[in-house]
Amino acid sequence: MKQLTFVLLLISLSVVIIIGIGLTFKSVPLFESFNIWNLLTDKVWSPMKGKFGFLPFIAGTLSVTLVALVIAIPLCILTSIYLTEYGSKTLKNTILPLINVLAAIPPVLYGVWGVLFIVPAIQSYIAPIFAVSTSGYTILAGGIVLAVMIFPIMISIMVEVLKTVPTELKSASLSLGATKWETIQQVILRKAKPGLIAAIVLAISRAFGETVAVLMVCGNVPKIPTSIFDAGYPIPALIANNFGEMMSIPLYDSALMFSALLLFVIIFGFNLISRIILNKLEGKHNG
Amino acid sequence: MIKNSANLLILGLLLLLGNSACAPKVKNGYTKERGFEGNISLSGAFALYPLAVLWSEDFKKEHPHVRFNISAGGAGKGIADALTGMVDIGLVSRDLHPEEMKNGAFPIHVAKDAVICTINANNPNFTLLKERGLTKDELKNIFIHNKYKTWKEIDSRFTNDPIIVYIRADAAGAAETWANFFKSKQEDLKGIGIFGDPGIAQAVKDDKNAIGFNNINYVYDLKTKKVASKIDVLPIDLNQNGKITEDENFYRTINELTAAIGNSTYPSPPARDLTFVTKGKPDNLLINEFIHFVLKKKSQSYLLENGYVPLNDLLIEKESNKL
Repeated sequence: MKQLTFVLLLISLSVVIIIGIGLTFKSVPLFESFNIWNLLTDKVWSPMKGKFGFLPFIAGTLSVTLVALVIAIPLCILTSIYLTEYGSKTLKNTILPLINVLAAIPPVLYGVWGVLFIVPAIQSYIAPIFAVSTSGYTILAGGIVLAVMIFPIMISIMVEVLKTVPTELKSASLSLGATKWETIQQVILRKAKPGLIAAIVLAISRAFGETVAVLMVCGNVPKIPTSIFDAGYPIPALIANNFGEMMSIPLYDSALMFSALLLFVIIFGFNLISRIILNKLEGKHNG
Repeated sequence: MIKNSANLLILGLLLLLGNSACAPKVKNGYTKERGFEGNISLSGAFALYPLAVLWSEDFKKEHPHVRFNISAGGAGKGIADALTGMVDIGLVSRDLHPEEMKNGAFPIHVAKDAVICTINANNPNFTLLKERGLTKDELKNIFIHNKYKTWKEIDSRFTNDPIIVYIRADAAGAAETWANFFKSKQEDLKGIGIFGDPGIAQAVKDDKNAIGFNNINYVYDLKTKKVASKIDVLPIDLNQNGKITEDENFYRTINELTAAIGNSTYPSPPARDLTFVTKGKPDNLLINEFIHFVLKKKSQSYLLENGYVPLNDLLIEKESNKL
């Protein structure tokens, strides 16, 4: 039995490695014609003219994710604090299952909801406040849809994390004369910090690779966005939009594979770094 | 146990590699006692997919031993699949690239359709736009050069509202064809990219200052033969005299438009050929029979009621002679 489980483990690990190798192998034709640094810093995407600049897509991915996080993180932390510290048991027992249901909604529905509600709202209400005229298909729309998509995963993990803070710590802080809010700020959040960061990292990994919901609302213009009211073009959208149509043009195919590899490496590296940070934090807290 | 796990490892690797294997093809065609039998697989453009399904149903009525396997996934996928031998016939809704022809793509045109320019029915300049249309150069300035920020910059009689240009985000035959109209490629079109044909139609319906392009089927209602609600066709001023004359005004019903495409009054591009692509000239009796079947009058007669344009007799003759 021991060997069997070991073999299964090897198989599942090798899948990841095979994906990495396969993507690299497929990207080679592009590396032969261009150097990587130029690919990553070029601003012009025009495959038929032999210009493969990936910077607009990298910028698009980062900006949509950033907007989503700016919206989601404060809301999720406050929500989970309310649910664990202030909310009644009944409230918690109704809200949490509901949030888990939200997590199961397929992305394409979020995309449709974005097209039907968020995009027109930005076009006719939000953008005029800032005196901008836009179609509504923007980085902001992508960010909002993405934020709503990562709410459930963030909140449910954060609630679990906050539950693990020992009651003794809270009681000690309260008995020293700290108010409830001071206790939350100084004791609970501090103690739960590594867990909260882990929740955020998980949510980012999910946000980075989200394809359909974002490509339906973000505008898909391959230019570097200068404001949240510009259209953007994330990497997953690039792959989804062009894969079916362009496989017959060799270098284009290779460029799409390279963008897949890019996504793979970014997420892999990101998770690695966050893992290291988390290990350090945990060591500091428990040591 | 060791042996077991070794088997498992082999099984696992097989599963991983199994994705690239494809179903065996019946070397087939025709026998005297059973008639035609075997498999025909097709994949490719969304524009042709519904038609391929219709034709295959009919073909099966005549030849019950034939099985079809049809999937949609974009014109490029159709060509790639046909050239690598994954399928017998690729469905393509754009012109073939020279690279594809070099690799042995063999095109047979089976129908026509067209891409048309669309605007919102509540556009502030609607009446005037319908009266004067836009010339090819004005459209090129809108879609390729992004020269005009407002409608007024095109013509001083228009209002000062912004022009919002919508294009296809996904690589598509329709977008490629629309860009061809301006001697350009899809990547040269500039505007807000929306996914899919229904998506861009919806965006145009939602935005009164929108301009975009669509396949006919997404603009006209096939039941009433008239344009769907909230969206309308922007006529092209073909002779560039600054107004839409009677011979340029064939957008009232789908039948008028398909007739104009059929007799080439509506220019090509943006009218386009819908094509079957095989790897080299097909030598299989069954595949040949199916293509001949598609080019028959009866199969072509469905096209109009579904928003496509049948080939005229000359073209049918020409395409049949390719085989």
